Amino acid sequence: MSDLAVKVSEPIALKARLNEDWLAVVIGLAVFGLALVSISGTDLLGWAVTTSVYTDLAQALNPFAKAYGWLGGGGALVATYAALLVVLSLGVSTLGADVRKFAIAFTAVFAIAYASWILGSYAYIAAVTPAEQQKFGLAWSLKLTNEGGFIVALLSGLVIANFFPRLADWLKEAIRPELYIKIAIVILGATVAVTAAGRLNLASSLLLRGAAAIVEAYLIYWAVIYYISRKWFGFSREWSVPLASGISICGVAAAIATGGAIRARPAVPILVSSLVVVFAVVEVLILPFLAQTFLWQEPLVAGAWIGLAIKTDGAAVAGGGITESLIMAKAAAEGIKYQPGWILATTTTVKIFIDIFIGVWAFILGYIWTNHIDKGPDKAKPAEIWQRFPKFILGFLFVFAVSLWLAVGSTPEIAKALPAAAGEANIFRVIFFILTFFSIGVLSDFRKLWQQGFGKLAAVYFVSLFGFVIWVGLLISWLFFSGFKPPLAS
Amino acid sequence: MSETDLKNEINAAAVEPLLPIEKKLIGWSLGLGIGLLIILIGINHFFPIKL
Repeated sequence: MSDLAVKVSEPIALKARLNEDWLAVVIGLAVFGLALVSISGTDLLGWAVTTSVYTDLAQALNPFAKAYGWLGGGGALVATYAALLVVLSLGVSTLGADVRKFAIAFTAVFAIAYASWILGSYAYIAAVTPAEQQKFGLAWSLKLTNEGGFIVALLSGLVIANFFPRLADWLKEAIRPELYIKIAIVILGATVAVTAAGRLNLASSLLLRGAAAIVEAYLIYWAVIYYISRKWFGFSREWSVPLASGISICGVAAAIATGGAIRARPAVPILVSSLVVVFAVVEVLILPFLAQTFLWQEPLVAGAWIGLAIKTDGAAVAGGGITESLIMAKAAAEGIKYQPGWILATTTTVKIFIDIFIGVWAFILGYIWTNHIDKGPDKAKPAEIWQRFPKFILGFLFVFAVSLWLAVGSTPEIAKALPAAAGEANIFRVIFFILTFFSIGVLSDFRKLWQQGFGKLAAVYFVSLFGFVIWVGLLISWLFFSGFKPPLAS
Repeated sequence: MSETDLKNEINAAAVEPLLPIEKKLIGWSLGLGIGLLIILIGINHFFPIKL
């Protein structure tokens, strides 16, 4: 969340957070709507830039649609940058941001993040199968898939955060990982629907199993972490609630929502959030590779596990994307070609189910705190459930529902044209993922972990995360998803 | 409030004992969570994922 860029002395602006959610819905729906126009034969987004695996940089970039081939790769890149700059500048102006500062910072953010993505598509990094290696004349490659570019973007951000803090500070107006990932999740609704439409039974089964994620995050993780924080580490209630929420539910959003609900001082959940982001980065750098090594034969277990173990929407959903690429690459090398989208859909389903209840949980805690612990005139009200509800989920559900209806309830012509339209929207989903990864990296100042005083907070996180969150998440993912594979690609 | 103040606060804060309501919250959450998880595992067993 961009709130992380706010100094701890500033109050949490609940209104601004809600606006950020709605802004993500507006931008996500705009991308989806423009992509849908292509069904009618008019291609409005075909100029968006795509990157292919390459050895010759001149061949790396292209416009998405052949109709815009005249633009060339460089032209498509500039057009994509310009469109994002205009839309996002208009968007952040509604949040009260300094548009000039944002535009300058965003230019640098886009340049570094997309350069990282291009670097990640270099064949020596991305080529996966022997056939691909042969095609590019390579004796070896890192086999990270072209989505290894996410990792490169994350590492670029980490280098800036930890070695060039002044540059990180200069970029901060455009470092908005929560905004970027929320837009990406809204757009993702179309891809998930197109994927689900082919196998409605499997998709509905995934939804049912999302309920297990809610139980695990809210009722089991939260209670255990709260106990550890209070009893073993001696933290006060004000610190323990955001800490337990940040580690168990959904990082930044949950820490801030529940911190607000128990009337904690605003600085407390924001400080906790910064630690959540740092740990999420560590997880994104480790867990997808562990999943590829140990869970490649159980792709849906891997997808659910990433959704349960990695906190913060950005890191979790983006981590699901990397996991999908890595596992599909490994499976392809073994001669198994899965339909794309199912692992990421599983991660997203789990994460969204968890997110939906943040408002309810915050209200329950707020009710207990304001009526039984810190009794005062400021009582928790049911209206807070809606206030704290992450609105971007409504955007995701709307896009999902419309896309699913177009896929299974409209004419065969529309259903046939829909995957291409969703694919066009998906170009922007990928770009917002890249911006998210880079932004998370820039926010992850590892020195915070070593700063005296925060070590105790980090210790609770470390003990909880590596002591049981990861393992219980793996166990539950295994119990609910083992033995079931994504459909094979036709 | 500066970050330094918060750091000092974390290190110097007196321990607040767990109140009965907190113990109830932890106990009920865990009990309900484990109970619901068992029910969901049962549902998962009798209604497995359909391909």
